[in-house]
Amino acid sequence: MEYILKNGIVYDPENNIAGEKMDIQYKDGKIVDSVSDNAKVLDATDKVVMAAGVDPHSHIAGPKLVVGRLYRPEDSRRGVVPKTGVTRSETGFSIPSCPATGYRYSRMGYGTVVEAAMPPLEAKHTHEEINAIPNLDVAPLPLFGNNWFTLEYARENKVDDLAAFISAWLKLVKGYGVKIVNPCGGEAWGWGMNVHGVDDPAPYFDVTAREVITALAKANEKLGLPHSIHLHPNDLGHPGNNGTTIESMKILKNITKNSPVRNQSLHMTHIQYHSYAGTNWRDFESGAGDVAKYINSNDYVTADIGQITLDETTTMTADGPMEFDLHQLNGLKWANKDIELETASGIVPFIYSGRNSVHSVQWAIGLELFLLINNPWQVFLTTDSPNAGPFIRYPRVISWLMSNKRRTEMIENREVHKAVERKSILATLDREYDFSEIATISRAAPAKAYGFTDRGHLGVGANADIAVYDINPNEVDPSAQYELIEKGFGNAAYTIKNGNVLVKDGEVVQVVPSHTIWANVQGMEAQEEAIIESIMPTFNKYYTVKFENYKVDDHYVPNPIEVKVQPGKAGK
Amino acid sequence: MTYVDKPSVPNVVKFAEPSATKRDKLEVMLNTGSDIYQGACKKRGSTLKDEYRYASGTAYMDPNDMAKLGVKNWDKAIVKTDYGEVVVFVAHSRDAPHEGQIFICKGPWANVVVSPETYCCCDPTYKGVPASIEVTEEEPLLMADLMAEVYKKYNEDETSTGNRLVKLPDNNVSHYRH
Amino acid sequence: MAYEKPVTDYDYIVENCTCAFCGCNCDDLVYLVKGGEVKGELDGKLVTSGYVDGGHVVACRHACRLGASKVMEDMDQRLLVPMIRNDDGALVEVDWDTALDKAAELIAGAVRPVFYGWSETSIETMHYGLELGELVGAVLDNQATICHGPSLQAVQNAGYPVNTLGEVKNRADMIVYTGNNAMNSHPRHMARYAAFPRGYFRQRGRFDRTIVTMDPRYTDTAKMSDIWVGFEQNGDYEFYNAMRAVLRGKKLEKDVISGIPKEDIEELVEAMKGAQYGSLFFGLGLTHTLSKQRNIDIAINLIQDLNKYSKWNLIPMRGHFNVNGFNIFMAFEQGFPYGVDFARGYPRYMNGETNTIDLLTREEPDVFMVIAADPGAHFPSGANRHLSNIPVIQIDIHWGPSTELADIVLPGSFIGVEAAGTSYRMDGVPLYMKKAISRPETCRDDEWIVNELLKRVQKIKGIEPKVASK
Repeated sequence: MEYILKNGIVYDPENNIAGEKMDIQYKDGKIVDSVSDNAKVLDATDKVVMAAGVDPHSHIAGPKLVVGRLYRPEDSRRGVVPKTGVTRSETGFSIPSCPATGYRYSRMGYGTVVEAAMPPLEAKHTHEEINAIPNLDVAPLPLFGNNWFTLEYARENKVDDLAAFISAWLKLVKGYGVKIVNPCGGEAWGWGMNVHGVDDPAPYFDVTAREVITALAKANEKLGLPHSIHLHPNDLGHPGNNGTTIESMKILKNITKNSPVRNQSLHMTHIQYHSYAGTNWRDFESGAGDVAKYINSNDYVTADIGQITLDETTTMTADGPMEFDLHQLNGLKWANKDIELETASGIVPFIYSGRNSVHSVQWAIGLELFLLINNPWQVFLTTDSPNAGPFIRYPRVISWLMSNKRRTEMIENREVHKAVERKSILATLDREYDFSEIATISRAAPAKAYGFTDRGHLGVGANADIAVYDINPNEVDPSAQYELIEKGFGNAAYTIKNGNVLVKDGEVVQVVPSHTIWANVQGMEAQEEAIIESIMPTFNKYYTVKFENYKVDDHYVPNPIEVKVQPGKAGK
Repeated sequence: MTYVDKPSVPNVVKFAEPSATKRDKLEVMLNTGSDIYQGACKKRGSTLKDEYRYASGTAYMDPNDMAKLGVKNWDKAIVKTDYGEVVVFVAHSRDAPHEGQIFICKGPWANVVVSPETYCCCDPTYKGVPASIEVTEEEPLLMADLMAEVYKKYNEDETSTGNRLVKLPDNNVSHYRH
Repeated sequence: MAYEKPVTDYDYIVENCTCAFCGCNCDDLVYLVKGGEVKGELDGKLVTSGYVDGGHVVACRHACRLGASKVMEDMDQRLLVPMIRNDDGALVEVDWDTALDKAAELIAGAVRPVFYGWSETSIETMHYGLELGELVGAVLDNQATICHGPSLQAVQNAGYPVNTLGEVKNRADMIVYTGNNAMNSHPRHMARYAAFPRGYFRQRGRFDRTIVTMDPRYTDTAKMSDIWVGFEQNGDYEFYNAMRAVLRGKKLEKDVISGIPKEDIEELVEAMKGAQYGSLFFGLGLTHTLSKQRNIDIAINLIQDLNKYSKWNLIPMRGHFNVNGFNIFMAFEQGFPYGVDFARGYPRYMNGETNTIDLLTREEPDVFMVIAADPGAHFPSGANRHLSNIPVIQIDIHWGPSTELADIVLPGSFIGVEAAGTSYRMDGVPLYMKKAISRPETCRDDEWIVNELLKRVQKIKGIEPKVASK
């Protein structure tokens, strides 16, 4: 089937198109040069056209999510929408049900989401949820940072073994890249402890975060995976953690990237939570300046923000000790989930409020980072959903980024606490994002960072994943009409996925199955076999499942997008 | 496949009753739950057989209580609560001592006498139901007979037997008795 | 017990099968199969892929008494053909089409259908069941409603600090069983996961651990423990509250609490504070007594408080191999764990209102479908009584108490033996249970049966079939 999307105003930063009125043609799910006269016409006259959104870090599927849903029916009751002829019923606000997750991303014009934490032992569960989510392509990142085998290899500096281990495990659990969460801290949480900074060793294993990050980065580059290591560094949410954050970034300084499909060798996730200065919650203030400065002068780093949206939400992370601290702080119900040999994790509901000085400063820190990091290719739009706020708030964050007026209003009208003025420099930043920059941080740059060559842009050959927003950039002044921006980005005029129109005028009109994106390293079979054989005695003794039952059967990945990786060469 | 004739239980040592006299009826606390014999019968599908009747249709008692009631292993007793009455075997509990408490494994027999009251918490009150137990000469029914007699789903002539469920009041609120 | 000779007369071995009994989901079972033909690959006697067509499991290595009893069932009471109750009240054999059409007709015409069960079937089957439920506006509920429902309510009140069983095996030096008799209901729990196995940090196994059992009865589990705390029946809440008070530095005013001397409570709390890694397993002893979810609230709070001093987690001892799976499945599909009512076109979850027992005692349902469950054996008769007023559709493998109440019987197949499928262990670890042998020819897979019902109901309602649930 051929289509032509006519007269839209196109923003495609990857191909240097910035606000040009043009047509986009696609055929059989791919963007093409030209189509015949029989092509079906979709009218996008004077509407913003971008590639479909790419979310680089969101928690949408897996054991943590389900614990959240099990233990927070009050959240599920918050987003109830009855079934329609097309969609099933939706539930949930911060932790929506799987169908709701798919529909809501679609309504925002998103097409691809990276599920940011998949415990390998429970990977089947994550994949089951991915299959239950419609309309998206999902790439899950398995957790490696506190895996016992990783810790051993890192301590012994066995990078080759570690690379073979990662390669084998990505195949076993159908994962896309290497996620690291509070390296060594997760293992310390096994004993109710934590580590502080990159040089504090994990108990018993006697290995530091510095060694773990180094080894995993080297192994990642040895394999030439399409994504760099994805790091949630130590000390999340502690006042004064900006030092640890910069120290963590410095570790990668001398490791060169080994993949042509991306620019970075390190992705720092939700750095809003890692850019705190001060020594305690009283003298806590923004440390965004130092972190942004480091990123501005080091192009091997990319970061996503984890912007606070000032909502009642559910925090969930593999950083178990952090969640317990949070529970001690806010007293709300605490869930924890430790996974044998692999990771910890925790969940606590959280009410971010503009009346609270700390939450308001956190809100300001996120925005500061967005505005202080100069190159939009290095900073991505996320709320670390649902941690800092649910993903359905992206349009609102976009409106804040595009409107200094709105930010000033919020500060002056005391929609946020007055501490924002004392403890951050947000009020002095008058930068406003334009549509091209928004297109960069929400699709082009994240796609680049993941080596997704077939999405995040509208060049010929790319997937026909297209979002059309009912905003006329020639008439709308985003600075003044921020409400129109939020509404426009929240209700796509069209969301097109692989050439199928899924959303029209903000309503889901079609539901298609999701795909699972995973990275398959080629040519390492011998090393993988050797490594599996060498770890089998430990595996059999200390896991509680059999190796045969550990792997993710093909049954769980009915619609795979397999990205073949040649070790040390280009992806795909 | 080996079937067990009856669950294995300790032999009752008859205590010389120092204070109490023999009684016809004991007021006890009824506890229900699973045990390994009941579980095995249920899942291997021998619920129609005598094996299941002995595994699930048995009130496990403290030996002191058995002495008071004057019963020995595999004698028969009738258990009554606010919710119904059922004839079961009695046997020496492997989990004794628990004087004043009887344990019937979950199953159709226990169902007749436990409380369906959930107190709006979804879960019926299976444990800690006040009950009485007295000796009887009646034989505990096999599962199918019990189901037919209790629920009478396919029996038009409903008055033919005396073992009826205690009808709850119309508002479905039962009175919890201490 | 009679001595049985080891089984030597078998043709094939199938390894790493997952036990379909309790929430332990032991995945190390080895089935010895006699007869049949291998559909797949064979290495000597070992079936390395595929299954044995027409074979029969003659022995089952590693399984406990419960697991073995289920896997090696002797077909005596196996439901083999579809049946419908005739006017005389007898179940008579019919063909599959007749039975399915009749069942679909009942479901499609129902005003308040309840689909109960699911805990002994696969997630794959639930997909079709949920789609059917959403279509006709049914209530979907599972066995949690009569076992760990209060635990889930407590989790919603207080939190959910859990771990996987391997964490217990590798780290725990103190293990508490409360209100459950693991040796009887989860016989390999102590052996494979908790008390006995040698763990990474507990190389001496049982000798490196302290086991405590809290139960009014001196159960078989208590007999295996170092400490038995025999608090009074219905005394759970008071006892845990006292523990928590002591932990928070309060002095107890009573000398004996729930039958336990206060010195013993103080000593126990000290021991729990001093553990390096503790794990608490709780069972129906807490959920079935009067205080129900409040017992578990307080136990969860106790565990949370203990984490200020040490590392403690808890795990509910889920009874069926996939009872947790249904709760997980419903939560990710529709946001609520069990007792989900679709009557209004969107999911509602209201404890005490949308749960099976409450619905039955209020005599609300007009059609009751029971799949892979046995209300006849496990519901109080005050609730079951309504089942004799309404049509009951049963999908199961055995003739059991529920069959005595059923009007339509659809014979399913064994997950983990005759059919593959996903299940979730008590700690949430997902397992793909493989198929070892073929099902009896006249039975059908649960997945197929429910999908057929769905298709037939869609046809009656004039709705285009969609891709199931996805």
